Amino acid sequence: MVRSQSLSRELVLLGVLIALIVAMTVASSLFLTTGNLLNTSRFYVEPGLIALGMTLVIVTGGIDLSVGASLALVSVVMGFAYSEGVPLWLAVILGLLTGLLCGAFNGLFVTLLDLNPLVVTLGTFALFRGLAFVISDAGAVSQFPSWFEVFGQYYVGPVPLQLFVFIAAAIAVGVLLARGRFGRYVRAIGYNPRAARFSGVPVARTTVAVYALTGLLVAVAAIIYTSRVSSARADSGLGLELDVIAAVVLGGASIRGGSGTIVGTVLGVLIIAVLRNGLFMAGVPTTWQLIVIGVVLIAAVFVNEFFRKDEV
Amino acid sequence: MSAAPAAASRVGVDAAGVRRVLARPAAPAVVFLAILVVIFGLSAPGFFTFENARGILASVAVLGVVAIGVNQVILAGDIDISVGSMLGLCAVAVGAVSTAVGGLILPLLAGMAVGAAVGAVNGSLTTFARIPSIIVTLGMLYALRGLTLVITGGDWVTGIPAPTRELGTGMLLGVEVPILLLLGVAAAVAAAGRFTAWGRDVHAVGGNRSAARFAGLDVTSVRLRAFVLTGALVGVAATILVGRVGSVTTDTGVGLELQVIAAVVIGGTSIAGGRGSTLAALIGTILIGVFLNGLVLLDVPPVWQNVVLGGLILLAVSTDAIRRRVLEG
Amino acid sequence: MRRFAAALVLAALGAALAGCAVGAGAPTYSADDGKTKICMMPKLVGIPYFNATERGATDAARELKVELDYNGPTEAAAVRQVEFIQQWVQLRCDAITVAGNDPDALAPALKEAQRSGIKTGSWDADVAKDARSFFVNQATFKAIGETMTDIMAAETKRKGKFLIVTGSLTAPNTNEWIAAMRKRVKERYPKMQIASVQPGEENLQKGIDVTKSYLSANPDTAGVFGITTVALPGVAEAVRQLGLKGKVAVTGLTDPVIAKPYVDEGVIKKAVLWNPEDLGYLAVFVAKKMLDGTMPTSGAFKAGRLGDVKMIAKDEVLLGPPLVFSKQDVGKYDF
Repeated sequence: MVRSQSLSRELVLLGVLIALIVAMTVASSLFLTTGNLLNTSRFYVEPGLIALGMTLVIVTGGIDLSVGASLALVSVVMGFAYSEGVPLWLAVILGLLTGLLCGAFNGLFVTLLDLNPLVVTLGTFALFRGLAFVISDAGAVSQFPSWFEVFGQYYVGPVPLQLFVFIAAAIAVGVLLARGRFGRYVRAIGYNPRAARFSGVPVARTTVAVYALTGLLVAVAAIIYTSRVSSARADSGLGLELDVIAAVVLGGASIRGGSGTIVGTVLGVLIIAVLRNGLFMAGVPTTWQLIVIGVVLIAAVFVNEFFRKDEV
Repeated sequence: MSAAPAAASRVGVDAAGVRRVLARPAAPAVVFLAILVVIFGLSAPGFFTFENARGILASVAVLGVVAIGVNQVILAGDIDISVGSMLGLCAVAVGAVSTAVGGLILPLLAGMAVGAAVGAVNGSLTTFARIPSIIVTLGMLYALRGLTLVITGGDWVTGIPAPTRELGTGMLLGVEVPILLLLGVAAAVAAAGRFTAWGRDVHAVGGNRSAARFAGLDVTSVRLRAFVLTGALVGVAATILVGRVGSVTTDTGVGLELQVIAAVVIGGTSIAGGRGSTLAALIGTILIGVFLNGLVLLDVPPVWQNVVLGGLILLAVSTDAIRRRVLEG
Repeated sequence: MRRFAAALVLAALGAALAGCAVGAGAPTYSADDGKTKICMMPKLVGIPYFNATERGATDAARELKVELDYNGPTEAAAVRQVEFIQQWVQLRCDAITVAGNDPDALAPALKEAQRSGIKTGSWDADVAKDARSFFVNQATFKAIGETMTDIMAAETKRKGKFLIVTGSLTAPNTNEWIAAMRKRVKERYPKMQIASVQPGEENLQKGIDVTKSYLSANPDTAGVFGITTVALPGVAEAVRQLGLKGKVAVTGLTDPVIAKPYVDEGVIKKAVLWNPEDLGYLAVFVAKKMLDGTMPTSGAFKAGRLGDVKMIAKDEVLLGPPLVFSKQDVGKYDF
């Protein structure tokens, strides 16, 4: 029952995506070229990776507002460790650990004290970015060895390498959520946390795992990002959480928890990418893009909630 | 457990009464504020002066007025993170009317009208269209900021005439007007909370929406009114801000929502709804102001401000959770 | 059935919105309508200074009959500018010219553009030299720093302690101005002392607060500089609110339109800028000359309504001397 509902929702999203692509192509003949599409994909791998983790978090009924801040923190830890003499490969591992710890920190606070994730991650939103500023002292590290460019600036033929990373991650997380025990636990917690606990779902462990996984994905995104812009600074990822949450919600996940798919999220990311790039190619000033994104987000969720009434 | 009341009554303390006071939502925040005032008073030069206190209150007036409104929305079980962008738009309205016709009342009303209208949109989308408020206000956060930029064309509004600036820089009976406004708004909303049906219904609706509905409350109207009130208060806050700063910039209000939610939560209102008070929002606001002021006086580099704010939020909610467990367990 | 209808509604809404936005925004571009396309990016959009440069740029584009795409991020972040440049490559710009938020961060993207045959330049704030062919400079660091310092010296009898309020402590151009100011003080005004540099972070309220706190703690300050277009009004407002008009001298850089209320009141007597409309105009002119291959590497050249414009280095064009405005003429500028 659940699967067929989400399938039809995803078909609708696909329809929206196609309609938008058509609209954008009409607005600018330069939009629908492989060059442009592959070029644009470069900017959306990072929010896309994070959106994968955010989907799991939102399906459990939670939310994570701190992802942009942890991206900045991971980037800064990596960059400044390197500039202090730590070998870069080790700094990268340090970055991955930092992301994991940030996520685990969120998860532990949420489970141990039964706190509202909105507030916890609001606190870490400020805390992590603050730490990034303290560590970097508002400066930046911009000199990286050329091998580091492989994460964010390398191409396999015409295709950016990070796109493969995203596809692989999407498949992995998608399988995790859709099949197997872990995915069932995640959905159960979102659907009814109390019932889940009584049915033997390891709520605490699953919740922490979900936030920690998001943290890890943020770290991977941070590495790609730092490599792509060749710069580690504390003001990275500003506003990222909004884009990520918008993509997940556009993709059909209910903010109340219990439903959501990776396929939906991927379509959500694509819709935002098409909107943003399409508007740019059409010469629309960035100020109008803000309005369009805001309205589309509200409209998309409206339509989704409209469906949900049918399902009871 | 049984020994305590006996011992307490020997000392003349009503244990149940103390428990009741400690159980009030704003209690931990008040205690924390007192401790903070003592610490800063002893360690930060220039903190413990009347002038500094007035400076703190005046500087958090804008934040406080908005926080008191958002507090009602949160009490009713919703949330509003679009207030920063709303402030920007209201400020443009205030500035535009002010440079056109001058005076104080008209610009203020313009700001409040725009704010209330946006609040009505937020509320309608949340209640009638049944879109979760976090999404509505997230989308509005983007859309309103874009709208403000498009309307102003990126230009500032400068040369705000003096009468309009009264709410920001005026003095009445020897006290800065922003302080009077903050305390006045707090008192008014607190009174509404206690003495009007709507005020009480807000807690009921936020505590358990379906139960409230079964009890016959007009849930939609209660929630809608909270959003509209917030919008109107944002308009008032915008007038204060324009007064204090003298111009309307294109990034007016950016980032305000973080501080507002922080103030509400630190003060002791529960984000889940149903529990909290206007006093909590006020104390939370003052706490943030005191903390930031103390950091400046202690010459702590500004890069630490966010760390402190984040830590405060985590500390506040943890303390609240622990306190609840102790009091109820 | 209902879902399908809903999807149609949503798609129609999206397309309609996009259509509105396109209609309200710049004209639609297509790949080959034969016109030269110049893509110009400020540090950010949405502040009066960069609105003025857009006006000048549009004038030049009309005169030279080229297409202009003037666009930029809504916040002054180098990383957003990088994405713009990378997307502009896809938009088949003939030339890209930018006001950089960070000289090094933009270099890789600009070089990528150069490799696709696009000519690159910079204006207002330079980027790494090998990432652009020419830089249009509004005024030399020396001239800006010295003019501000001289104005302050004249208003404060050449002695006393001074505060500088800047934007971000890490912005290269403001730091160069500060260095030029310190040098001027050392060489000409030994009795003046720059006591402190505080960041206003390009936020008006912050600029006000920072100045107020500093002046309250240092009441013997003779004058305060506000050296960015956002910092100076903040400084002036603070001095005005503290009632120190006339006792503490205020000067610096900002748009005349923003300074006007304070100049009229006497809080600011004189302030400095350059004509941003002319700067935008010149940037487009230089971009076109780059594309035509007619940029000299020394001497002067005619730049339309600006007349003769000098090269101060083989790859740097100078707009001219800084503009000083005061009560008499502050009203005649619309930037």
